[in-house]
Amino acid sequence: MTTETVVRLDEVRKEYGETAALDGVSLTIRRGEAVAVMGPSGCGKSTLLNMIAGLDRPTAGEVHVHGERLDLMNETKLALFRRHHLGMIFQFFNLLDDLSALDNVALAAQLTGSSAATARRRALELFDELGIAGRRDVYPAALSGGERQRVAVARALMNRPALLLADEPTGALDSKAGEQVMDLLIDLNQIGQTLLIVTHDERLAHRCASRLVELADGRIARESTLDRV
Amino acid sequence: MSAVWATARAAVRRRKLQTFVIGLVALFCTATVVVSLALLDAMSAPFDRAFAQQRGPHAVAAYDPAKVTDAQLTAARDGVAAVAGPFAQATVEGTGTDGPMFQGPLALTGRADPGGEVDRLDLWRGRWVSAPGEIVLAAIPEDETSFRLGPMSEVRTVTADGVPLTVVGWAYSVSATADGWVTPEQAVALKPSAVQMLYRFTGDVSTREAVQQRLTGVATGLPGGALLAAQPYHVVKEEAAETAGVYLPFLGTFGILGLLVAVIIVGNVVSGAVISGFRHIGVLKSLGFTPRQVVAVYLTMVTVPASAGAVLGTALGVAGANPLLNETFQGMGYGQDTGVQPWVWVAGLLGVPALVLLAALLPALRAHRLSAAAAISAGSAPRRGRGLRVQRALGGTRLPRSVSLGLGLPFARPGRTALTLASLLLGVTTVTFTAGLTDSLLEVSRIDAEAGGDVGVRPERFEGPNRDRTSSTRTDQEVEALLRSTPGAAKVGASRGRTVPALGQSEPVHVNFIRGDTAAMGYQKQLLEGRWLDGADEVVASAELLNKRGLKVGDTLTLEIAEVRTTVTIVGETVQGLPGPGAGLFASWRDLGEGDPFEFYYQVELAEGADLEGYMAAVRAADPGLTVWDNSDTTDVAVVVTGFSTVLAVLLAMVAALGVLNTVALNVQDRRRDLGMLKSIGMTPRQVIAMLITSMAALGVIGGLIGIPFGMAAHRLVVPLAAEAAKVTFPDYVMEIWDPVTLLLMVVSGVLIAIVGALLPARSAARLSIARVLHNE
Ligand SMILES: Nc1ncnc2c1ncn2[C@@H]1O[C@H](COP(=O)(O)OP(=O)(O)OP(=O)(O)O)[C@@H](O)[C@H]1O
Ligand SMILES: [Mg+2]
Repeated sequence: MTTETVVRLDEVRKEYGETAALDGVSLTIRRGEAVAVMGPSGCGKSTLLNMIAGLDRPTAGEVHVHGERLDLMNETKLALFRRHHLGMIFQFFNLLDDLSALDNVALAAQLTGSSAATARRRALELFDELGIAGRRDVYPAALSGGERQRVAVARALMNRPALLLADEPTGALDSKAGEQVMDLLIDLNQIGQTLLIVTHDERLAHRCASRLVELADGRIARESTLDRV
Repeated sequence: MSAVWATARAAVRRRKLQTFVIGLVALFCTATVVVSLALLDAMSAPFDRAFAQQRGPHAVAAYDPAKVTDAQLTAARDGVAAVAGPFAQATVEGTGTDGPMFQGPLALTGRADPGGEVDRLDLWRGRWVSAPGEIVLAAIPEDETSFRLGPMSEVRTVTADGVPLTVVGWAYSVSATADGWVTPEQAVALKPSAVQMLYRFTGDVSTREAVQQRLTGVATGLPGGALLAAQPYHVVKEEAAETAGVYLPFLGTFGILGLLVAVIIVGNVVSGAVISGFRHIGVLKSLGFTPRQVVAVYLTMVTVPASAGAVLGTALGVAGANPLLNETFQGMGYGQDTGVQPWVWVAGLLGVPALVLLAALLPALRAHRLSAAAAISAGSAPRRGRGLRVQRALGGTRLPRSVSLGLGLPFARPGRTALTLASLLLGVTTVTFTAGLTDSLLEVSRIDAEAGGDVGVRPERFEGPNRDRTSSTRTDQEVEALLRSTPGAAKVGASRGRTVPALGQSEPVHVNFIRGDTAAMGYQKQLLEGRWLDGADEVVASAELLNKRGLKVGDTLTLEIAEVRTTVTIVGETVQGLPGPGAGLFASWRDLGEGDPFEFYYQVELAEGADLEGYMAAVRAADPGLTVWDNSDTTDVAVVVTGFSTVLAVLLAMVAALGVLNTVALNVQDRRRDLGMLKSIGMTPRQVIAMLITSMAALGVIGGLIGIPFGMAAHRLVVPLAAEAAKVTFPDYVMEIWDPVTLLLMVVSGVLIAIVGALLPARSAARLSIARVLHNE
């Protein structure tokens, strides 16, 4: 059991005008953990995830990820940090429509300086592992939801991120496709991938996560350890 | 960089419509810019080029042969880079018998050869003088047909101070160093009054003063008072620039309109790409693209098609401009070299892509600032609310639902609508301006053509040896009768011109005594002020004469006509005088007794559809003693300006239509989901098209209504500016060309531009499959 800290939030506050989306959240995530964040709609789950991903900045408080203070970085530093250390998957996949499935995934490696050929080779390996090798030249518009999400997972894993962030990864999928993505996440965690999953889905939380954080009105209402089913 | 390039390249390839629109806008804008610049260059630069080619003299100097010898002149080379001369120069009285050209004082120079180090003449017809008794005349080059049909072909001999000289060739000097050239021996025989030296200097010659200084330097070694006169090259250069001055207002207007349209449309296209690319930008940022890289992706995305468009547009512009230029400017003496110049190519290739880049920068910087979190959420939840109230109000009207929905669309994106409206407005402004310009110029050339008649006729006196024609023996009455009876004539005017002394005026005045239909051939219609003459004591003057002599309508003049003092009153001012020694008065016909046949001039207006060549041939056959020429050609300026403005207006209207196309395409993109929903509840493809076209046609009407006054204002401003540069005065009706039908047509043009632009994306929206839309949301 390693105790290395990957994420540490200290009294993080985020205000959008009048409303406080996060109201003093402190949270620590260690390497190898799989943490699920749950709570009612509008309680600040996505906002929390955006803070950790450096997609948005806190109004107050500190955000430490992989040993760096994200709240102090400028946009460019944040971008460089993201490309090397973070992987993200979203409810609506957010693939680039202009690129084929394979190129969507390869792009992440190209960003870190790999040549197009090297990037494609690594992407193909991932496609094989995720069972979507047959769809490599298809454009996102022609993929099913489950396929799109697996491509998105492949893209997130491209640069072997220290932390994989997932915002409702099964929210837009039917139960079968959802199951497949869940299995994928469990497998990843089992080989050591640190995970933070935002979800509405209890089953997803209980199957994939080792710890559950419940948010309400921008505060942590409850934290509990889970026995995975 | 490779990630940026991969992303941008994919966007260029996959976003076909966006790429196509940017490329096409760049293409048309570049073509517009290249055509305008080529014309501007052709109008101003050829003098410099011809001057350089002919190695024109920086100064043309005349020395007094009584005070300085040729040897002294040759030796004085202080600061002189190259020199031609000394050439003996005689000022003679030309009294040729071959038509009105080369009459009066002529400066003839003795020159052994047309080449040399300075003032290399363009000997464009015939050969150089090789023996006394021969002359080469100075004239702007003409092609074979124009020469044959024009008055120059009639000039075979020039009589200089009574000495007959045979014309052996025609040459052109941009520097206008002489009216004609003879052999040095012949020049000496003509009792030269001056010695001509043509200098090219070393050092600064940029100003008149600088040239003056160089001349003083040369003259220091010479006897005092030897230099009679000197003319710096700036004098001819400025004369050449005056012609350009006529075109500048037109081209400036088109240039400004073109650039404005380009900026607005490119700005709209690119900001549209950024707005509809919010989610795209968010994704790029979440993947770890730095803000700079995002900007680079967006700039590359627009620069690639813009550059391709610029290359094609330059080629198109050059291909379009070249024939127009060659056709038009040969007549100005620079015909040898009027192609599109390299700098115009460069401006076309680099200018528009640079502009596109600049227009893209603002929205791209917005992409730079956009927070990744906001961008991603903006993509998944389209903003609503704006325009809802308008939509609800429209829904309450009795309009068909597709029309009311269409009318509401522009309110959803006010910024985009404003830019689209602006490009439509500029499109209509351009069309209105061009229509007005064309109408005015047609009016001007109609006046011009009408006034000159279709055919000019003058009796000749052919004398001396080796003449192949005999003089006319007809009286003026008989000539007029002949012209009237030759089939095809509609109006025939006769005139007799005389230069007579005027009391109190330092210079004599030229009076044309007119008879027949002369007044009815445009001159009367062209009255700027007053009325036409009625009676022997009334005259009408041309605007030029009044301006020159400081006279005005109502003034009286005392003239000595045939040794009789006659007081006449100027009762009217007209645009132009009869052809001939310009600026004449019109007076009623009177019997002046015998006179030089050259005094008589006839002009004929042919009946509609009559055969001009046939008429001229018939007159020549009936009386070989008459010189007959074609006077029907419209003015060059009118032809060039209408030709070019039509091309430019069409280009700009197409660009405006592209702006609309882009807007509709973006609206469809933004509203895919709404469209899918509308179709799923039963909206037919036809209704979808109706809805989208309505949205733009409404803008077309508004753009038309606002654009028309702008176009009219531009017309009112620009045409007089050009007229001023051309030193002409137009009658008021030249400017009053607007009527309700024309104006209605202009509004229609706005709607048409809007509909043409909207049609393509509206049709593709109508074909959009509901399943596909819903699958991708
Ligand atoms: N960009 C923004 N601007 C203004 N308010 C925002 C913004 N993003 C989030 N909010 C507000 O912050 C609060 C938390 O939003 P957040 O998206 O984090 O909720 P969530 O827990 O992810 O909800 P859901 O389960 O519906 O996704 C909400 O009240 C929301 O309206
Ligand atoms: Mg959320």
